[in-house]
Amino acid sequence: MTAVEDTGPVVLARELGKSYGERVAVGGIDFQVPAGVCFGFLGPNGAGKTTTMKMIYGLATVGEGELRVLGMDARTERRQIKARIGVVPQETNLDGDLTVRENLIQQANYFGISPDDAAPRADELLEFALIRDRADERIHALSGGMKRRLLIARALVNEPELIVLDEPTTGLDPQARLAVWRALERLRRQGVTLLLTTHYMEEAARLCDSLLIMDEGRIVAEGDPPALIREHAGREALDLDLAEECDPDALLEALGELANGHELHDGALTLFAEDAEELLRSLDHDRFPTESAMVRRATLEDVFLRLTGRSLREGE
Amino acid sequence: MSYEPGYAGLGAELGLRDLIPSPRHAAAIWRRNARVFSKLWKGALLPTFLDPFFYLLALGFGLGTYIAHGINGIPYKEFVAPGLIASAAMWSSAFETTYNVYFRMNELRLYDNVLSTPIEPADLVAGDLLWSASRATVYGTVVLIVVSAVGLVSSWWAILIPPFVFVGALCISVIGYSFTSLIPKIDLYSYFFTLGITPMFLFSGIFFPFNQLPGWVEVVAWFTPLYHLVEITRGMATGPDALQILMHTAWLAVVTALLFPIPVRAIRARLVP
Repeated sequence: MTAVEDTGPVVLARELGKSYGERVAVGGIDFQVPAGVCFGFLGPNGAGKTTTMKMIYGLATVGEGELRVLGMDARTERRQIKARIGVVPQETNLDGDLTVRENLIQQANYFGISPDDAAPRADELLEFALIRDRADERIHALSGGMKRRLLIARALVNEPELIVLDEPTTGLDPQARLAVWRALERLRRQGVTLLLTTHYMEEAARLCDSLLIMDEGRIVAEGDPPALIREHAGREALDLDLAEECDPDALLEALGELANGHELHDGALTLFAEDAEELLRSLDHDRFPTESAMVRRATLEDVFLRLTGRSLREGE
Repeated sequence: MSYEPGYAGLGAELGLRDLIPSPRHAAAIWRRNARVFSKLWKGALLPTFLDPFFYLLALGFGLGTYIAHGINGIPYKEFVAPGLIASAAMWSSAFETTYNVYFRMNELRLYDNVLSTPIEPADLVAGDLLWSASRATVYGTVVLIVVSAVGLVSSWWAILIPPFVFVGALCISVIGYSFTSLIPKIDLYSYFFTLGITPMFLFSGIFFPFNQLPGWVEVVAWFTPLYHLVEITRGMATGPDALQILMHTAWLAVVTALLFPIPVRAIRARLVP
């Protein structure tokens, strides 16, 4: 893998927007992805993450605003941009008519890599994806986890400077997910810039140096995971399961400034504070009876739900 | 009517830069299709071998027996045989650019991957079309060998038929590809075959000449690519008239070039919205 030599950001978006007919998918967003980091896009379904990724890797035209990838204009230099990035799409679109190894060799062909160079490259990548022993099998014989790893390996044939991954672990079991995470961590250590979308908070917290939360086509928060948690939730959280006779509004009023935020959902109240133990001690338990109480660290999940709400979203 | 995902019609007009394919990238698409075909060709070629054989048996030897004086001085089976070379190429092109392209685009979602590599829509369409014509040329050549083997070809010029089959197949392929890239639903293929391909097969001069029929019949036929390809293969098989061959080839080449922007625009609108 080659590190990026230019000093500018790997991706630069200014007022970037995209509409499909009446529907606004991305509504004028600004962001920068610096070189060498793992940058995550979080958001519920329909937030505009996939559309943003597609504009970056050339499967959607830039609607409004400006988008530069590796210093090039995404409107006019699409072919040159695509030559230097790798893409792991949300949908598994491996070539079912070819074997595992042929998928990699054919991908190298698409990038104009000569057959002499393509074969050893394919072997290297089979090793990377831990599927060397399945090299001559057809795609449908692979498990979901193997297909994902092959998709990632396929995105590496051209030794990309930037890899765009759209929900790389959706639908995988915990073991398969861990294998994908390890592969991505290896790539990051090699200095490749990773840009990924996810709606798994633990994935974002584990992999990403920097995060951006999108909702309804807009950016609602940005920062590294600990900063986001500090800013939008606080250090700790107190989960209360309120008894039926407990009035949540009165409880919140009684606490006043002690809690720096809350989330209420069907009698389950989460309070955010610097010190949740203290908050719990200061609570008048006779006046506000609870079924259970638990002190824990605030997580990205709290941030996410606070910023994007709890209602279900339509598919993107 | 429920539309296929991404259906987008003809799409915006494109500049020359977006319409001219890069040979290197088109070749990568061609190679992918050839790679898959190389695994399947044994099973795929046998029907091609049998198909013209049955037509020859039924029409050439069966029906032909009742056409005592032949057509234009040629025995009926010799009249039909070169047309079957052209029709094999047409059927191959029609299936490749409809069902096969549709399957790669909408079922395997291969084109989403291809278009996120340096390959652009014009390269993709050109590579697929060149492949379709290559495959059709293989099929046409198989039929040429069959009809030559049973002695239905009288001129040595027939050896030169395959490259002309390639040109004709390219033209039929671009029509099929345009249809595939424009239709909102796969069900519409039945119209393409019943109203387009089958009538073309029957009325392009393979089975009867036009000189006894009203003049408009030949005029209508003139607008179909198969008519021109049949004129070329028959000319080559019986002794060619160079000028005629040249004119028919020019027709096929010009129509191919004129139609090429249609699938490029539609594929781009569909897959790179």
